[in-house]
Amino acid sequence: MSADPSDTSGLREQIAENQQAIDRLNRDLARKSNEVRIIQQISSEITSTLDLDEVLGIILRAMDHVLAFAHSMILLKDVADNVLRVAATRGYAEQGAGAQVRLGEGVIGVVGERRRMMRIGNIGASMRYLKTVRARMESSGEVGPAEAPAVLPGLTDVQSQLALPLTVKDRLVGVLAVESRTPNAFDELDEVLLRIVGNQAATAIDNARTYQIVEQLGRLKRFFSPQLADLIIRGGADDPLKTHRREVTVVFLDLRGFTAFAETSEPEEVMGVLHEYHGEMGRLILAHEGTLERFTGDGMMIFFNDPLPMPDAAERAVRMAVAMRDRAAELAVRWHRKGYELDLGIGIAKGFATIGAIGFEGRWDYGAIGTVTNLAARLCGEAKPGQILISPRLLPEVENLLEVEEMGLLAVKGLARPVKPLNVLRLRDPA
Amino acid sequence: MAILPDDIKAAMQGVIPSHVVTCSHDGTPNASAISQVYYVDADHVALSHQFFNKTKRNLEENPRAMAWVISPETFEAWDLELEFVRSETSGPIFDIMEMQIEAIASMVGMKGIFKLRAADVFRVTAVSKAVGERIPLAEIPRAR
Repeated sequence: MSADPSDTSGLREQIAENQQAIDRLNRDLARKSNEVRIIQQISSEITSTLDLDEVLGIILRAMDHVLAFAHSMILLKDVADNVLRVAATRGYAEQGAGAQVRLGEGVIGVVGERRRMMRIGNIGASMRYLKTVRARMESSGEVGPAEAPAVLPGLTDVQSQLALPLTVKDRLVGVLAVESRTPNAFDELDEVLLRIVGNQAATAIDNARTYQIVEQLGRLKRFFSPQLADLIIRGGADDPLKTHRREVTVVFLDLRGFTAFAETSEPEEVMGVLHEYHGEMGRLILAHEGTLERFTGDGMMIFFNDPLPMPDAAERAVRMAVAMRDRAAELAVRWHRKGYELDLGIGIAKGFATIGAIGFEGRWDYGAIGTVTNLAARLCGEAKPGQILISPRLLPEVENLLEVEEMGLLAVKGLARPVKPLNVLRLRDPA
Repeated sequence: MAILPDDIKAAMQGVIPSHVVTCSHDGTPNASAISQVYYVDADHVALSHQFFNKTKRNLEENPRAMAWVISPETFEAWDLELEFVRSETSGPIFDIMEMQIEAIASMVGMKGIFKLRAADVFRVTAVSKAVGERIPLAEIPRAR
């Protein structure tokens, strides 16, 4: 046989090329069917719950088990701030929850700011390069010394990151990120897969978050004004139902003669008086931005400096008390005419209290616990009709506003030494 | 025409810095390291323009260049022959390159200082596996 050997090799090459093309097509097909499987699996799991933590857990588990991304995290955008907060992680020694990234900072922050996916596989090399450029520019005086680099959550010595913005109707919900210490760890296929998961994740997270907010809002609106409840939800104020300790100014008021009046009057009369009294006092509480902690029949407890910090808490408390006394005096004229012997007494004290949700499942209340509430209640109990008794600790902050008179020593349960309260005579005319 | 092979993509992530060679009008060559030769499509790449340097000046005089990229996985190297097409300061290619630069810059306190001026897009006219050839030292022409 004298066949031309180059013919055979040409044929072999052709066969090999064809085989490569077939392999490529098979790989593509396998990939496509894998994508479909992933979509089905993840979407059925994700939509099975409205619990935010569960949703985040499902997403990250899928990243690990289905897509083989070992290190992943979800950051959620704070509604009020331009900050992404780590909400869930998988594949890290430390949980890292609560760590935050400012929009525009690092790979994740830039992805959040631009709302565009980013894949980068040369973080180490790029940073070394930039540090060298930076050093050169510093030594030539082109730029000043470097500001401290941001501390970013995630792997130390990270080389590759793939980060996807989670958006719902153009609104940024958060960022889903995977990372690796291996350079070039992610390719275009990973982008495709992450995008598939990301679209569903964004919607599921948003739904769970909305549900959480509606629940929380309902809870908060029982205790706070709608504006304040909104502010808390949007992150402008800390959740006051979480236990915390804060210095507050506490105002106690009740009606002298109310118990006797309630026992001797018709229920309609009692409720009518209470309704009028609560309505008028409530209006003044709102006007001075006080927090109504509770009603007990004719008694009310209001405090200032929580949940919203107020530098002028003492002043607000005293001004509110004086306004209440004036308004109650007007109401009392009518009450006396009807034969009701009702007069307002008020006590105000300042001090630290433990504040938060008190109660049990199904019946939670927002409450403050501390000697300061006892003292305010005791001062209120001691006040004669029309008196506003304040604890001496309040005086330095309000003495320019008020004319006061000193009262006799008063023993208070829980306090080692008796206090010497002051009675508020009147507000000083503004000079 | 799909001139770039698929497996060159790994060499275009900037893990190993690439090099680009340009030539001035009078024929003086210039070689320079470049952080990334970005894969645009199978016929185009983009180079980041961050500083006004000799590469940029040469390209204004002579729109041809050569780039050398290395795969960090296999250490295979490719030579690309390039022809300058256009300079982009917006659009998807610019955005992707700019985002990466900004992300890294923000991590070393260089945000706003180190930034992408333009993405220079080139057509790839030829690509070959760079095998390398030893040139005896004495034969290298001395630059003046």
